[in-house]
Amino acid sequence: MTAPSLADSGLADGVAIVTGGSRGIGRAIVETLAAAGMEVIFTYLGNAAAAQETIAAITAALPDTKISAKAVDVRDSAACVAFVEETEARTERLDVLVNNAGVIRDGLLGMLSDDDIRTVLATNVEGAFNMCRCVLPFMMSKRRGRIINISSVSGEKGGRGQTNYAASKGAINAMTRSLACEVAARNIRVNAVAPGVIDTEMSKTVRELAGDQITSRILLKRIGKPEDIAHAVWFLASRYSDYITGQVLSVDGGFKME
Amino acid sequence: MSNTNITTEEIAAILPKVADTIADALGCDAADVKPDSSLIGDLGAESIDFLDIVFRLERAFKVKIPRGKIIEDARGTLAESEFESGGTLTPAGEARLREFLSEVPADRIKSPVKAAEIAKLFTVETFAKMVIRQQKATPAT
Repeated sequence: MTAPSLADSGLADGVAIVTGGSRGIGRAIVETLAAAGMEVIFTYLGNAAAAQETIAAITAALPDTKISAKAVDVRDSAACVAFVEETEARTERLDVLVNNAGVIRDGLLGMLSDDDIRTVLATNVEGAFNMCRCVLPFMMSKRRGRIINISSVSGEKGGRGQTNYAASKGAINAMTRSLACEVAARNIRVNAVAPGVIDTEMSKTVRELAGDQITSRILLKRIGKPEDIAHAVWFLASRYSDYITGQVLSVDGGFKME
Repeated sequence: MSNTNITTEEIAAILPKVADTIADALGCDAADVKPDSSLIGDLGAESIDFLDIVFRLERAFKVKIPRGKIIEDARGTLAESEFESGGTLTPAGEARLREFLSEVPADRIKSPVKAAEIAKLFTVETFAKMVIRQQKATPAT
């Protein structure tokens, strides 16, 4: 028998695309996949300074890392096609797609504007659809690929003021399960990670509104860190999860609604 | 759009490369990929394989093939309501399909034709013709 080794995640020298990678959870995912030896290309919407800062910080810590950023609006399917085609032509491989780009526009349903609804659904749902459609032909032709969608605890559990965001994440969960069925035979795994309350700029308002009582609802009694999510993404990208597809993995410290 | 501007010579010229591309995508022996092989019936393709085949053909021939292009071209100038009704091809739609899929042996097209089953008729030559149509629509640069 071959001695089992857990030293090799199978990610080294691979190529990953991470959408919305300049800040928060996305940035932690970029850092983790880069540390695993992957070339990481991440997208950002408008904050070029944050993207450059992310690249500089990771490159300083990991000088051999290949990391780059591109301004892509994932709501724009043509922009996604151009970005993915350009990436595939250059790298000639694409192992992992992480659909992380997302926005939040919380408010009571009766108070939401058309734009609050459309922007959240277009970015969080259509953005993931756009990117999946772009990478699938390439992954299918290689008979290998992993897609990880960043969902949210909101996709499964109700929360006041989050109808638009919750609907978008519920859609992501459903899409994850169905797409996994479509592409499993081509050795492409599709999973989602559903973060709970994580210490990021995006969740700041929610956390401030909820106050101290929010940690009382978390079994592990602390707010999550971006790297808690990145580690789950790393696992689902790695060979250690080779027998897992169509799943939504909650990484929420044991979140309860009551 | 019409088949009349595609010559048998043009088809013959690219068929070997189309057949090789399809064999690669389906992981089957190139010798089994005949011009009139039905992809689904004879070569065991599933509908999702069409995505892979189209992607590989795009790369092999340096053309862009919009998704759903064959079905769209199959309808030709007919409006959707003229082409099919309740999931079944109208007589006009079926006539148009027989003309469009002239490479498919006529006895394989059994009336009434269900729209959802058109893809089952596609042969290797159907894909060759699609490539030629796209080459003519977007000349290589």
